[in-house]
Amino acid sequence: MNRDEAKNILLLYRPDSADAADPQFTEALSLVKQDAELADWFGRHCARQESLRATFRQIQAPAGLKEQIISEQAAREKIIVWRRNTGLMAVAAAVVALLVLATLWLRPQISDNSLALYRDRMVGAALRAYAMDLTTDNPAQIRSYLEQNRAPADYVLPASLTKVAVTGCAIQSWQGAKVSMICFRTGKPLAPGEQSDLWLFVIDRTLVKNAPPAGLPQLAKVNQVITAAWTEGDKLYLLGTEGDEQAIRQLL
Amino acid sequence: MAKGLDFETLVSCHYQSLYQFAFSLARDEADACDLTQQTFCIWAAKGHQLRDESKVKTWLFTTLHREFLGARRKQIRFPHVELDQAAAELPVVPATALNRLDVNQVLAALAQLDEIYRAPVALFYLQDHSYLEIAEILEVPIGTVKSRLARGLDRLHRLLTGDTAIGSPLRSTDP
Repeated sequence: MNRDEAKNILLLYRPDSADAADPQFTEALSLVKQDAELADWFGRHCARQESLRATFRQIQAPAGLKEQIISEQAAREKIIVWRRNTGLMAVAAAVVALLVLATLWLRPQISDNSLALYRDRMVGAALRAYAMDLTTDNPAQIRSYLEQNRAPADYVLPASLTKVAVTGCAIQSWQGAKVSMICFRTGKPLAPGEQSDLWLFVIDRTLVKNAPPAGLPQLAKVNQVITAAWTEGDKLYLLGTEGDEQAIRQLL
Repeated sequence: MAKGLDFETLVSCHYQSLYQFAFSLARDEADACDLTQQTFCIWAAKGHQLRDESKVKTWLFTTLHREFLGARRKQIRFPHVELDQAAAELPVVPATALNRLDVNQVLAALAQLDEIYRAPVALFYLQDHSYLEIAEILEVPIGTVKSRLARGLDRLHRLLTGDTAIGSPLRSTDP
């Protein structure tokens, strides 16, 4: 290796760095120790490198850059967490909405078949302007009609009720099952347009929850209508008329 | 995986040298800050993919360099020239004054170099990396690094000393 070759190699040498241990510089550095002119050149080269290196090292990051980098990253992470949580909340909200919808969807199937609701519905039917399916004063025709239409027809009337005149019948519905509605006229003055003032509803007793035990009529008032509910055999009977408790008791 | 590296510690260890490199390339404080910050931002998102923790420093410098080149490409497509940059004239510094250089003079000279020489020369003088690491950062072979350095250092020296004789071999001149 001659002097020029050594200079060429040492141009890339950085003093006070790991370059001193780099094998690519070993031979050239050993030549520096033997060649005074090369050593002089090398000394000035190292001084220039030091000067330039020191100049580059004068570059200082502005105050607060480190803190800015750290704080902005922390803020970014918070946003990521917030977005993740928002996403989870959106999923949770969607699940809740689905549950609510499912509940609303299923609710009609989980029906209330209590006696109270049955009583309200039947009284409501009697008070509304209903149309009798069969108008007759013949109890046998009523029974026959109901039987033909697969509504309860083998009902047993209390003795006092058999003395009240029938006016006809209709078939009502209770949660898909047929209810026989037998209409009577007690003889009291009727409101204009009315044909009946006493109604008896008969249904299979298993279709209504909380039906009263046999022999113990249950009285209740719905609006102006007094009702009595009782069971006998496999039937639940509901009798209603406008008036007071005494009015209904005398018919049982 | 580099999962074990705490973000704050990493920033504390490397933000200064990354900023020096960024400033050497961009010559603008705001751009250098952006490059440094963007580098750590990319680390936060992708750093976990690095398997060898000993390569973190090289990874950061490589990322910063890529970001700089990407930004330069955009700048070339959509040029944005500041008035003072356009008017900047490189001061000629006598050879004897090399020991009294300031940062602006050196960086102005560095900016006059072709882009392929700028990053290796800056990394050379920042002296944070071995030649092998510089090759990894710049994603070129080590031989290419050395040849670019030889030319880049030669031209930088000539620019700083006012020796504009193009192609004159450095080895025949006094350092």
